[in-house]
Amino acid sequence: MVAAPRMRSGQIWSSRRSRGWLLVLPLLLGLVAFSLYPLVYGLALSFSKSQLGNPFQAWIGVGNYRDALADEVFVDSLKRSILFSLPVSAIQVAAGLAIAIMLDANLRAGKVIRTLILLPLITPPIMVAATWKLIFNPTGGLLNNTLRDLGVIDAPVSFLGSSQWALPAVALADTWQWTPFAALLAFAALQGLPGDVLDAAAIDGASAWRRFWSVMLPTLLPALVAIFLVKVVISFKIFDLVYAMTGGGPGFDTNLASFQIYRVGLQQFNVGYAAAQTMIFGLVVGLVTLPIIIARDKMVARWI
Amino acid sequence: MTNTQVTGLRRVAAGSALREQRRWQVGSLVRWAGITLVLLFFLTPILYLVATSLKRADEVFAGRFWPASPFWQNWPDAFNTIDLTLLMRNSVLVSGLSALLTLSIAVPASYAMVRYGTGGKPLYSIVLGSYIAPPVVALLPMFYLLKRIDGIDTHWGLALIHGLASVPIAIWLLDSFVRSIPADMEEAAQIDGAGQIETLVRIVLPLMSPGIAATAIICLILSYNELLFALVMTYQPATQTLPVGIALFQGDRLVNYGQMAAASLAGVLPIYVLALVFQRFLLGDRTQGALK
Repeated sequence: MVAAPRMRSGQIWSSRRSRGWLLVLPLLLGLVAFSLYPLVYGLALSFSKSQLGNPFQAWIGVGNYRDALADEVFVDSLKRSILFSLPVSAIQVAAGLAIAIMLDANLRAGKVIRTLILLPLITPPIMVAATWKLIFNPTGGLLNNTLRDLGVIDAPVSFLGSSQWALPAVALADTWQWTPFAALLAFAALQGLPGDVLDAAAIDGASAWRRFWSVMLPTLLPALVAIFLVKVVISFKIFDLVYAMTGGGPGFDTNLASFQIYRVGLQQFNVGYAAAQTMIFGLVVGLVTLPIIIARDKMVARWI
Repeated sequence: MTNTQVTGLRRVAAGSALREQRRWQVGSLVRWAGITLVLLFFLTPILYLVATSLKRADEVFAGRFWPASPFWQNWPDAFNTIDLTLLMRNSVLVSGLSALLTLSIAVPASYAMVRYGTGGKPLYSIVLGSYIAPPVVALLPMFYLLKRIDGIDTHWGLALIHGLASVPIAIWLLDSFVRSIPADMEEAAQIDGAGQIETLVRIVLPLMSPGIAATAIICLILSYNELLFALVMTYQPATQTLPVGIALFQGDRLVNYGQMAAASLAGVLPIYVLALVFQRFLLGDRTQGALK
């Protein structure tokens, strides 16, 4: 008699469990196809001499890895990706927060403005590249014209053809596209802020600046770090902008890692070597993002 | 309290209110200046593209923002130079199929992961962790996989890849929507005698529909905009997607910029319309509350 309900609940529990796994099954298959299989296959490729049309010609051990780590073009592309992703993402999160604060405070036009700044975010990156290429054009592009009219420059500057400006130019196009992402997420985080805390600080007579530094920023920090993390991950994936704006040039000045691997694998057809570079790149992305993930987890734990 | 004291207090209060008002006015001036700059930065490139699409070839870099007189011919010419209609049809087909695949994987999974705790935190971490790897990691293995199953240069092949690639984002987005469904409603339905599947279809799916809509739109846009996989997995015009077509058009040395701008705008228009029509889903609290 006593055991009956327990048994029934046990049955329900076990059927819930099997039902759960049944519902999750397509996801597991997807993970096998798109994560586990590429990892295993990519690892195998990386230890082989492989051409695009003729993979697995011979096992060559760690040869590809040794070559990759000695390859200045590849190692530089990794460094460039890190030096691009971290500061560009930080700038975008800071600018996004500033925009979110401007849009806050019951701004009636806020919704229209948020819809408008959604447009860069949903524009295909290839079109972003096309647009900014027009803007950066040395002869008569918008930026050159504006700078000339303002008296900043005398002669036209070829931004995308200059060692000094090409990467910042790509970063500017990326910032145009992705700052709205940071702004919209920061806006959502701002809405979730307990209003009474800010009100209490305001009644205490704290200045707007102090309220920002000592109340708003610390409370928002976990969300901001999360936005930063997502943005860093996205930055490491940049391919389209480089492909269409600069082709990695001038020289290798905008050769970011994803584009570098694409070049080796699909333009030079050296897929074994590209696979080894991919594995190293994946490892680097993991190593760079891990501290940010840990920092965020610590913060969340502290704030809860 | 004497009369003078009260008057004095009133005067102080009035003074501080005035100061407060003045500060508010300055603050709102700064705010509007800032908002103007923000809009200028984000909208100028789009307007510049519109202006360029209305310029004759010799006027594109002549130094004016707007053309002296709009040259509408670029638009029909763009459709003649590259087969925009076909490219857009391919893109719509691939993105539609891929969003369908993503949702049919992510909706049941996110429900089970939230409601039954299936897989626990490890599964959730694995799913989100798989998003950290750059897509270039999957590029070559997926290329060989598609080749093996005759999926290269097919709509379904590219849709399969886009659909799988968007799953982590979909799970991430759906999570907070599933959490927001009150468990009592499902229990009530079951007490009323509804079966498991009936409860899922009749109760849970409708409650999840804003989340499903938001996720669907975002997945559609992600697939529609994707270049890397599309570039590698499709060769023929019959399957090439819009970003690939635009990329090839742009790479042409003798590119006509007016036509290129018109083609780009024509291609991005469906996305802009979709986003404007369904903006309430995209800008909804929960869509953006995924970070909490």
